[in-house]
Amino acid sequence: MSDVRAAAALPAAQLVRQAAGGDLDAFEELIRNLQRRVYGFAYQHLRDPDEAHDLAQEIFVKLYRNLARYDAERPFDPWFWKLAANTAINYRRKRIPMPAEPTEETAAPEHQLPAHDPALVEALSQLDPAYRMPVLLHYYADLSLEQVGLSLNLSVPAIKSRLHRARAQLRNSLAESDESGAPR
Amino acid sequence: MTESPLTCARVRVLLESYVDGDLERDDPMQSDAVREHLAGCADCRRQHHQAVSVPFRLKALASPPPRESLVGDVMHAIAPSRSGYRRAWTLIAPEAILATFILWYLSGLDGLSSIASGIFGDLQGLVGWGSGTGPMPSVPRVDVLLLISLIALAAVAGYHLSVLIRLAPSTLPTRRTARE
Repeated sequence: MSDVRAAAALPAAQLVRQAAGGDLDAFEELIRNLQRRVYGFAYQHLRDPDEAHDLAQEIFVKLYRNLARYDAERPFDPWFWKLAANTAINYRRKRIPMPAEPTEETAAPEHQLPAHDPALVEALSQLDPAYRMPVLLHYYADLSLEQVGLSLNLSVPAIKSRLHRARAQLRNSLAESDESGAPR
Repeated sequence: MTESPLTCARVRVLLESYVDGDLERDDPMQSDAVREHLAGCADCRRQHHQAVSVPFRLKALASPPPRESLVGDVMHAIAPSRSGYRRAWTLIAPEAILATFILWYLSGLDGLSSIASGIFGDLQGLVGWGSGTGPMPSVPRVDVLLLISLIALAAVAGYHLSVLIRLAPSTLPTRRTARE
């Protein structure tokens, strides 16, 4: 256990290098370090704990299969989150549409959180992927604007512009929701 | 120098940039104009409050923690590819067994040197016959058939090996036995 904590201090790029060399312990430590952010990102993308689990797993399996392609000279985070974003977009595209709010059948009480801001959850789910992905990467994967830009192959001003437009759309949706008297 | 007053629609387009402070930095005069408009427009003030609150509400949207099993599930999911890769090597085994059987038959139980000299002699005879300098060698037909089978098997095994080498990771994944 203390080994894992000590290893958590290792930079991700070093763990990736070791994992690419066949060190499975390094890979396990890497996913332990990333799992909270990846799961948070996946959960906000899909708003379903089971699907978020599946998506997070798919992202990590894809990471494992692509380890050999990582260029150790470049920063790890943008490379990884680009892979995560592409996987998330494809996952959502091919999945069967699910309601934003879980039904009684799909709710797993031990993992289910009450949506304490359903209007925002609904507004977020309606965002176009071009605006949605920068929001998810910035607010839920905790990436800086520069890192979001590198992950999505966009300049920082372009990312800022997309975030502004995304927030404006959310604001409009929330205003409409307020006017229609929907619960918040 | 008087600025034309901003319309509500224009102010609402600029709100996020205004809230982040980008407008103040990039265009201070327009930022002042937005501020003045907000002071006199209750509808836009409501939109402004909403624009200020959206980033906080986004941040406050909680995610449950990942399941305890996530790391184990991932490690389990990548395991089949490793065992599958090892299983692929076992396909070499039947090829090796067949090749050994053919070699044993061709050797006539006289050992590897007789195989080598026999094959060499046969090939020499075939080359001589092919170039018209010698008679048709009297190699038993079954030996010729087995020799062709052996060459075909060696080619298949060689191709199989080259595919496996191309698929191989830089080194086989291993668990560390001890940590520094």
